[in-house]
Amino acid sequence: MKRRDEGTCTSIYAFLCVPRVAILLTLFLTLSGHSYSANTTTAGQLEIDATKAGPRALEALTERGILRDYRFAWASMTQALEFNTSDPLEGPFTDEAKAWLQETVASQQKAGLSQRYVNQNHKLVVVFYAPEGDLIELQDNADFQRQVLDGRNTIQEEHVVARYIVLMTPSADRWVVRQLQAVPHF
Amino acid sequence: MNRFKCAHLGWLATCLIGAMVAASYAQDIRVPNIGLAGESATISTTGGGRARFYLLGPGVSRNTEVRLGEEISIPAEDLRVAGEYLALLCSGSCRSGTFYVSAAQPASLTFLVHPSRVPVAASDAISGVVLAFDQFRNLVLAPETINVQLSAGNATLFSRSIRTQNGAAWFRATSGKLAGALQVTASMGELSTRRAVQEAASDPCNLRIKGERTGAGITIETEPVHDCAGNAVPDGTIVTFTASGPGGKSTVDAPIKQGIARAQIEASGGEIISAASGVVIGNELRFGAQP
Repeated sequence: MKRRDEGTCTSIYAFLCVPRVAILLTLFLTLSGHSYSANTTTAGQLEIDATKAGPRALEALTERGILRDYRFAWASMTQALEFNTSDPLEGPFTDEAKAWLQETVASQQKAGLSQRYVNQNHKLVVVFYAPEGDLIELQDNADFQRQVLDGRNTIQEEHVVARYIVLMTPSADRWVVRQLQAVPHF
Repeated sequence: MNRFKCAHLGWLATCLIGAMVAASYAQDIRVPNIGLAGESATISTTGGGRARFYLLGPGVSRNTEVRLGEEISIPAEDLRVAGEYLALLCSGSCRSGTFYVSAAQPASLTFLVHPSRVPVAASDAISGVVLAFDQFRNLVLAPETINVQLSAGNATLFSRSIRTQNGAAWFRATSGKLAGALQVTASMGELSTRRAVQEAASDPCNLRIKGERTGAGITIETEPVHDCAGNAVPDGTIVTFTASGPGGKSTVDAPIKQGIARAQIEASGGEIISAASGVVIGNELRFGAQP
């Protein structure tokens, strides 16, 4: 099968290959919806430790959902801050987290700045899970490479070790980030 | 970074002196330690000439030209959001500094209480979570003591002090014994937030029925249905009447209306009639065959 495809691409119909791949890729990205962002993010490693979760125990399925949605939130935030668009923030963020991210994007646009977060690693610890399961608090030990750009010029690039306090609440079909607050230490 | 190209050894001394002079004018930046949200801050710079100053933080991005050696004032409105701020000073090369802004004093409480409706005398049936936020909606992470009180009418059913940890505090409580509105209050200093929980009667208790033969059969009804604490069981609660006789067994479901459930059973022979609601079974009535 693979060989036949290669044969086609090297034939006189080779010009069809690129558009076909492009079409398939576009179709895949369109169909996969938000998972595109999550999977193409530079949010590399995510780990979660729920042994300290309480007073409610965190079930495995919920844990996976939180990991998936937190990864998606970071991927969306990364896109928003790199391309200065608020669109990716719709969905994974709400309340204060969404408000200040939108402000950040707007002020970056005004100042002609952008930021890139690459090679992200997140180690999450669940420190509180509400009795009724309607709120979870995480501590995120994150590290990433942050680039600051003025226009197209990279003016700063550094490896950052950051700590975040995260509040997430369940919405209709996912967990959303309500608070994302960097702190100097836990 | 300034560079000096020294072609000849004879110029070395001159180059060194030039480099030292340049270094003395090289820009540097000194950022504040941790500040409080909503408070202005000052960033000091060293060096001479002009430079570009950048500030990136939650909700803020600045890109301005500054004069080196002067202080840069960051207005309070740029430091409303708790988190990490990156200050950059660029003149040829860039110098950076990072500082944090933490939440200010608590200004509001977010209070989540479950459930909104609860049976009376249910153990640990009510739970609540309290989060403290400052006036800019930053989560206050410093430990705070919050007083939680459950009251019905003028009676206090539960009162406890809980302490926030990582910004959150929680409690569980047993519901009261009387049906009606239960006020759940979380307070911290002058801050107070109230939620209402409707306490409803629990399962029926001591279900008793009475009945009489009529022309059409047997009319059966309960006495006013109460829970074990004496609260009237809500209208709509189903009572199931069961009649057992020579013709077999038949059941009728009847909702409680104004505290009483009624049913009409068509039977002419001897019948044993019983009633049940939920897990509670009432008394039995025996009727002889109709003459």
